[in-house]
Amino acid sequence: MAELTQQLREAVAEGHWDAAIESLRADKPSKAATAIQALPYEQQKRLFRRLPTDLAARLVPAFPYYHAYVLLHSLPMAEIVAILDAMHPTERDDFLEALPEETWQIFTKALDQARQGMVPPEAASPEAPAPAELEPIIVARQIEKSYMQPEGRQIQVVAPIDISIEPGTILAVLGPSGSGKSTVLRMLAGLLAPSKGTVLWHGKPLGESHPNVAIVFQSFALFPWLTVRENVEAPLLARGVTQAERYRRALKALRSVGLKGFESAYPKELSGGMKQRVGFARALAVEPEILFMDEPFSALDVLTAENLRRELLALWTEKKITTRSIFIVTHNIEEAVLLADRVVVLGSNPATIRADFRIPLAQPRDRKSAAFLLYVDYIYKVMTQPQLELAPPKIASAEATPRWQMLPHTRPGSMAGLLELLVDHGGEEDLYHVAGKLLLETDDLLPIIEGATMLGFAKAREGDVQITAEGKAFAQANVDARKAIFRDAVLVHAKLIERMKSALESRSDHTMPLEFFHDILDEHFTEADVLKQLETALNWGRYAEIFSYDPETDTIKLHTGNSLETENLAAEQ
Amino acid sequence: MRPRAQHQQRSARAPVWGLFPQFDASLLKDLPIFLAAFSVFYALIAMARYWFAPFNSQVEISLRPAALPLYAMYSVMRIAISYFISLVFSIVYGYVAAYNRKAERLMIPLLDTLQSIPVLSFLPGVMLAMVALFPKRQLGIELGSIILIFTGQAWNMAFSFYSSLKAIPSEMHEVAAVYRWSPWQKLVEMELPFAAIGLIWNSMVSVAAAWFYLIACEMFTLGQHDFRLPGLGSYLQTAANAADTRAILWGLATMIGVIVAMDQLIWRPVIAWADKFKFEQVESAHAMHSPVLDLLRSSRLLPLMARKFVDPARERLNLHLAASWDRRSPDRGSGKAGRWVSYFMTAVSLLAVAYGVVKMSGLVFSVTGSELRHIFVGGGVTLVRVEFTLLIAALWTVPAGVTIGLNAKLATVLQPVVQVVASVPATALFPIIILLLTRGGGGLAVGSIVLMLLGTQWYILFNVIAGAMALPTDLKEVCGVFGFGRWEKWRELFLPGIFPYLITGIVTASGGAWNASILAEYFHLNGQVYSTTGLGAVVSEAADKGNYPVLLVATMLMASIVLVVNRLVWRRLYNLASTKFKLEA
Repeated sequence: MAELTQQLREAVAEGHWDAAIESLRADKPSKAATAIQALPYEQQKRLFRRLPTDLAARLVPAFPYYHAYVLLHSLPMAEIVAILDAMHPTERDDFLEALPEETWQIFTKALDQARQGMVPPEAASPEAPAPAELEPIIVARQIEKSYMQPEGRQIQVVAPIDISIEPGTILAVLGPSGSGKSTVLRMLAGLLAPSKGTVLWHGKPLGESHPNVAIVFQSFALFPWLTVRENVEAPLLARGVTQAERYRRALKALRSVGLKGFESAYPKELSGGMKQRVGFARALAVEPEILFMDEPFSALDVLTAENLRRELLALWTEKKITTRSIFIVTHNIEEAVLLADRVVVLGSNPATIRADFRIPLAQPRDRKSAAFLLYVDYIYKVMTQPQLELAPPKIASAEATPRWQMLPHTRPGSMAGLLELLVDHGGEEDLYHVAGKLLLETDDLLPIIEGATMLGFAKAREGDVQITAEGKAFAQANVDARKAIFRDAVLVHAKLIERMKSALESRSDHTMPLEFFHDILDEHFTEADVLKQLETALNWGRYAEIFSYDPETDTIKLHTGNSLETENLAAEQ
Repeated sequence: MRPRAQHQQRSARAPVWGLFPQFDASLLKDLPIFLAAFSVFYALIAMARYWFAPFNSQVEISLRPAALPLYAMYSVMRIAISYFISLVFSIVYGYVAAYNRKAERLMIPLLDTLQSIPVLSFLPGVMLAMVALFPKRQLGIELGSIILIFTGQAWNMAFSFYSSLKAIPSEMHEVAAVYRWSPWQKLVEMELPFAAIGLIWNSMVSVAAAWFYLIACEMFTLGQHDFRLPGLGSYLQTAANAADTRAILWGLATMIGVIVAMDQLIWRPVIAWADKFKFEQVESAHAMHSPVLDLLRSSRLLPLMARKFVDPARERLNLHLAASWDRRSPDRGSGKAGRWVSYFMTAVSLLAVAYGVVKMSGLVFSVTGSELRHIFVGGGVTLVRVEFTLLIAALWTVPAGVTIGLNAKLATVLQPVVQVVASVPATALFPIIILLLTRGGGGLAVGSIVLMLLGTQWYILFNVIAGAMALPTDLKEVCGVFGFGRWEKWRELFLPGIFPYLITGIVTASGGAWNASILAEYFHLNGQVYSTTGLGAVVSEAADKGNYPVLLVATMLMASIVLVVNRLVWRRLYNLASTKFKLEA
């Protein structure tokens, strides 16, 4: 494989297209596709354009579908039609099937029009110019982070990962909450030393250099006792910049984010959006080489966030800021696809890289375009199906699977809401649609999906969520019957609650301190996670009437069979 | 053409004095600031001259009202100096405890213990030691009182600064780290502003406590020695000794006047100024208002001086410190030398503690069995007396506080009155109360409860009023809608609602009552000793007679009773208050 990659790289670099095509034809499609993806994207496109139709048709199914889709769209519509027609029918159906609904509709419509000889409106997705091959600014090798628990055990938050930041790109790191993405950001920015591994800044270890970076925080992190101007000037003062120069640079930064005239205001007089503008101005004033952003838009309302994203993009694409690279951590999938040239998806507990791929669409991007939805759908797929290694290159295998099942942090009511929505929509729905309809952020939606999946009420498949027979029964039952169904599902699927129940049954008074379970969980999770696990277990167990909890004594007590509620239930049935 | 037209327009509208140059008029406004600066300067000189005067073993306290300003100044200066020392101490102590994890484990429990030791039991020891150190000058006895006041006011300030530092959000630290702020910049732009409000409120509490101890110090006599210091405390005591009602009233009026003036001239402006340090992201509706601060802000002289002298100096200091910090290699870590220093320090402090323990146990074992029984009986009696005092205080303050707190009109009228009454340190009233008791023929067994009540009831009353005022309107409306009776209202809303505040008040009051017991159970007046059974009396008597072993054991017992009761009773109730009875929005 490496051999083919090497051959291909040399042939393409020297413009020997025929030799390149020969070598691709000689190998298996899967290896050929991998080799092509190892090339810089610009060369991939040039090579793909030169492939004979039959070879292209054989290779398309070997690529990840989103990558094949984007590569295909670098060709004129007529050629796309030709390649699709030349594909094996089942492979073609599989490829089209994998596309999210809207993308599929737009794509098939365009194909039909092309077949009828019309020029479709969206002939090809506009593409971003590929960045020149430059030395990365930051290279992190096998960095990992673990924390020592008080009892001396180690809890790993970040598994060894490789990550690099190239100049000229916006890199987005996506992951569910608590997946350690902020920890990764802090290790790369030099705020947190990795437990193992090295971070190189222009080839030198981070400890030996003063990296010129800035961070924009979700909570803005402005000092309320300093005026807007003083907030922006504070980092400059730390660098020994004189008063006059500080003033000039602060005003310049404030002007660039549209805050001229607010220099002497205090942060508390400003709205959330304006506060974050101050955050941006403070970061830009030091002219950082890399601008780190930790969920910069998450604390803002939807419209303000969108507005600010557009302005940031405008500053970036028009090269009005000297920053060479932007590193943004987010849990918002659309935000990542909107902004990023490259996306890294992290898995949690501990953090591993689940996917790392480029988004070669030109800016500004259209949220409604087929290619945009394609990437959104793909990321949902990666995030909801950890077992599914969707083979983009450079996936680090997740070896360290936790021995203990982790309950998703969600409530029975939220799961019921999701299932009711699914019933209303015929039992299956694209995840990004669900997120839109329930007005939920990815971060809030994923635990609900996970919970419903764990209890066997739903299945996540290829970026869709599908209701099961049990789920349907649950969604359509009345309050008491719901509890019974939930109880059965929990006792089968949720190991922690099942263990709590059997532990309670073994006691003569059917009562145990919650502390006991806290101590057991303590050996497997961080303190914050333990508390979340217990909270979820209490929520589920109380809803299912498996046990009751007494906050005065901090104990849980088994719900015995002859309780009033169960009797009522029996009477009704 | 145009400027002239404007000029004419202005002069037509402005009154006559508006024609004078602006600068002169504004200087008039600065006059009070000038005068204040001069008087502070004079006070410093007068104090220094008096301090270095030869030691005067027989102080004559004049009862003429004309002598009062000087006495008031002496008292205020003692408080100011010890406050300044406490402030510096708190910042250093809090800083080290917050950032040095090893030190924190030792320093915070230590602070907790120090906070519960009744300061007045140190009074005799500290005074004797200081007089021995400076036998020829007034300085010794002055330093003794300052050290004592310091021990009464430093701990809560240090604790406040420490917990503020610990509460700084991690992003703030990250901002400082990623932009490489120097420690100086961190202190000035992040840590001090963040801690300011907590520090100011605790300073007010500390200064109020300082008055209590100061008065006790100024009245202090030990056996034959007269350690009295000229000040408001000794004035009041002398007046009570002489049963001179006019002088007593003059003294009390001066004391209240000084306390009210300090409130208006210092605390209110400082609180109003500190409003900008509120760590809030949204502007709050009501802020405190201070005319004195307005005067300072509208001054022309101060900004001018700031621009000319302070700003350039600060800029140079900032840049210098930033540059020297920036030059340091990024390699952090204290290295070997630092580790050896910390080992050395640990060893030295362990040795010192061991030495102290050995010496003290020598003293402790010399206490006889009957003395020991006396101490423990006293401990039991005072424990009952303290709890009884708290009960009485709670019994009248809870209904009164709730009534005041629920009635907004009553609260606006009564709160300032209550504040002024409460601001009079209980120790200042002791001689007067004892005078009345002896005239009425009452004994100190009951009288000491009255004395302790004086110092403690206000803490509870203030907190109950605050709690009643914080009761949410919707809950009060629920009671109205469902037609709750008087008893139901108290049981379902008022008592649970004010519970956290009541507990806070009682915890503070409990500490105050133990402290007051030392004076309340054993009191010198007019050359006579009034006393009753109790641990406070044991402490005072032992100090009076120079029985140091008993003094030590009794003090230790008192500190441990306070600590144990705090841990076993109050802290648990406090946890309950902050979980179950917390009214959340």
